[in-house]
Amino acid sequence: METLKKLVPSDLNASKWVRMILGILVLALLVWRLVDVILIQRLYGPDTWARFAITGLIIGGMYALIAIGYTLVYGILLMINFAHGEVMMLGSFAGYFVFELLAFIPSPGPENPEQVLLNAFPVLSILVAFLVGMLVSALAGYFLEKIAYRPLRKAPRLVPLISAIGASIFLQNAAMLLFGPQRRTYLNPTLLDRGLGLEIPIAGNNVLVPYTGIFSFVLSILLMLGLYLLVQKTKLGRSMRAVAEDKGAAALMGINVDAVISRTFIISGILAGAAGVMWGVHNGLLNHYVGYIPGMKAFTAAVMGGIGNIPGAMLGGMTLGILESLGPAMLGIDFQLKDVIAFTILILVLIFRPSGLLGERLSEEKV
Amino acid sequence: MKKLSVLLVIVMLATALAACGSKVPEACESDPLGCAVIEKGETVKIGMAGPMLGDYAMFGKDISQGAMVAIDEVNAAGGLEGFNFELIAEDTGGSPEQGAAVASKFVTDETMVAIAGHIFSGESEAAMPIYEDAGFPMMSPSATNPPLTQMGSTVFNRLAFTDAVQAKFAAEMLKNDLGVSKLALVHDGSAYGQGLADEVQANFESMGGEVVAYEAVTPGEADYSATLAAIAAAGPEAVYYGGYAAEAIVMANQWAQAGLTGVTLFGCDGTFGVEFTQKTGANGIGSIAASLVPPDSDEKTAFDTAYQTKFGLAAGELSAFTWSAYDTAYTLMNAAMSVAFVDGDTLYIPRSAMVAAVRGTNYNGLTGAVVCDATGECNASGPSFYEVVSDGAGGSTWIPFTK
Repeated sequence: METLKKLVPSDLNASKWVRMILGILVLALLVWRLVDVILIQRLYGPDTWARFAITGLIIGGMYALIAIGYTLVYGILLMINFAHGEVMMLGSFAGYFVFELLAFIPSPGPENPEQVLLNAFPVLSILVAFLVGMLVSALAGYFLEKIAYRPLRKAPRLVPLISAIGASIFLQNAAMLLFGPQRRTYLNPTLLDRGLGLEIPIAGNNVLVPYTGIFSFVLSILLMLGLYLLVQKTKLGRSMRAVAEDKGAAALMGINVDAVISRTFIISGILAGAAGVMWGVHNGLLNHYVGYIPGMKAFTAAVMGGIGNIPGAMLGGMTLGILESLGPAMLGIDFQLKDVIAFTILILVLIFRPSGLLGERLSEEKV
Repeated sequence: MKKLSVLLVIVMLATALAACGSKVPEACESDPLGCAVIEKGETVKIGMAGPMLGDYAMFGKDISQGAMVAIDEVNAAGGLEGFNFELIAEDTGGSPEQGAAVASKFVTDETMVAIAGHIFSGESEAAMPIYEDAGFPMMSPSATNPPLTQMGSTVFNRLAFTDAVQAKFAAEMLKNDLGVSKLALVHDGSAYGQGLADEVQANFESMGGEVVAYEAVTPGEADYSATLAAIAAAGPEAVYYGGYAAEAIVMANQWAQAGLTGVTLFGCDGTFGVEFTQKTGANGIGSIAASLVPPDSDEKTAFDTAYQTKFGLAAGELSAFTWSAYDTAYTLMNAAMSVAFVDGDTLYIPRSAMVAAVRGTNYNGLTGAVVCDATGECNASGPSFYEVVSDGAGGSTWIPFTK
């Protein structure tokens, strides 16, 4: 905070005015568009709004899981792990190959002689895919830290950041060379077929909530709850919080700082891996580039919620997902501009609330 | 040096005298471009130029193989007055420079009568003036760039349908065969996809249809459900998509979630392919797409079998142009047969007459009617349309669309 204060000119009046005028303008624009689209034009019925919201919640859950990875690492190392999206991509590939393998092994049933293992034991298959995806991402996170960040621990803060960007480019291209540049499609078990779902009648229309979406959303909530318990209730969580607050003091108290940092990367890798497999199962599309945009969005979400703050990342992810899918419709602009909305939100947050919606760091709250 | 040039002059004079001595048929003298002359024992050559090596080699390979099937059939049936046809395929790498170079080489060949190509639009354009001067008719199975037929060339013809033709047929089918009155359009922002969507919109509206939504998607994304939900809110009866299979697959998989169940996804030739059915499974059922692949017929089955036995792989595996290449070769050979005559032991093919004969083609081929208009657009039947149906095992498959 001290450095930040030094950067801001002592004469704060000017920037205060600029901020206020900007704020009023943005607000006026928003209100005008909202009133126009929702009350005057009435382009969309309640069922369509519900569809937008459902899309947003599902994607938001995945953003939240990835955003937690950014926030955990920032909380402890004060660096942005820009290769986190690629960690997610590797998990996504791992889950893909598990499904492909299981779909390759025949498991003839009495009724269906051509059945494959994937559909004979769908629940088990999904479980295995998630476990392998999480394992691969956890390993990726662990080695990423070991190779790209640990040697630079004592270097100025910009150095590991550059190293992270390098790691991101390296992993993307390595995946392209290993798995090829073509786009693949996740082969879901029929249980999680992308066309099936719960039908909810809203305003006379049936709104389909896909099972893949329900599954992803529930799983992301469960994982976030698990993480919260881990951070708040276990010994590892306590040492993580201690390292986040003060590495030196933590080391003096007998905490193995390196081990805690490694575990933090493993945990963020596990969450990213789960998000990667979810991404594949729900959206179906996969290539070496799949982690980049979600990674950027999740970073935005983490900043929005307050980087370093775990509940902030969860809130930020959900909010971003919903705003992204509701935003273009609310403002009456092209749906192609949803990325613009996401990154505009990032800019607005940085202007009006630089420390995020829920404040910057968990540890500072405790202080 | 001097001796050599003297020798050269003597040789040239001798040749000229020999030519004067042998009787030139009247039809060749009256033809402003002369004749192709095929002596006994030589073959009637059809040139083909395109990418035979490198990144796009599959196009050159596949098109020449499709043409070879046709040439072998004709030769087996006796050829042209006992003369066999032969395909000479040269690599251009698809580049205009190489295309012009190959064309310059081809026009020096007295026994070559026509060009089945070129394959790419750029190289076709570069080669066109060279063939024009020499009187070599061209018939491209694959060059789709619309201006090619607007340049006033008398030799250039094509069997490939342009995007404008495809859009016209798609709009007609939507309006007349599917009975759609409210259409939504989606494109991927590419020149190809947006061009198609715009053309379909113009055609559809001119037929009295209503366009209720027009959206673009960013290629490469994994989630278009918000865009689709907005389209669903406009209540279209069908959605036309201009773009490639990858995005169409994502859309088809999110169709039900977006509330578009029962609305037809109507794709273009970029959408068509096994990839679509493999990756959408049951979600793709009901989708329709345009394609170069001709509808099933006895001729197509015969061609597919011949291709398989000759080259050891299924027709269509390399590209979708192979059937068009077959018709291209037939068109050129038919034209040659209609104007060729034998004088003594020698076969003569008057070049201007040959050019006119190709432009005057009216024949029913594997891909449908091949009727050239005054500018050289010969695909009179347009694309074939296919629809996705259940394969009975949880997946789906393309079958020719029936009204």
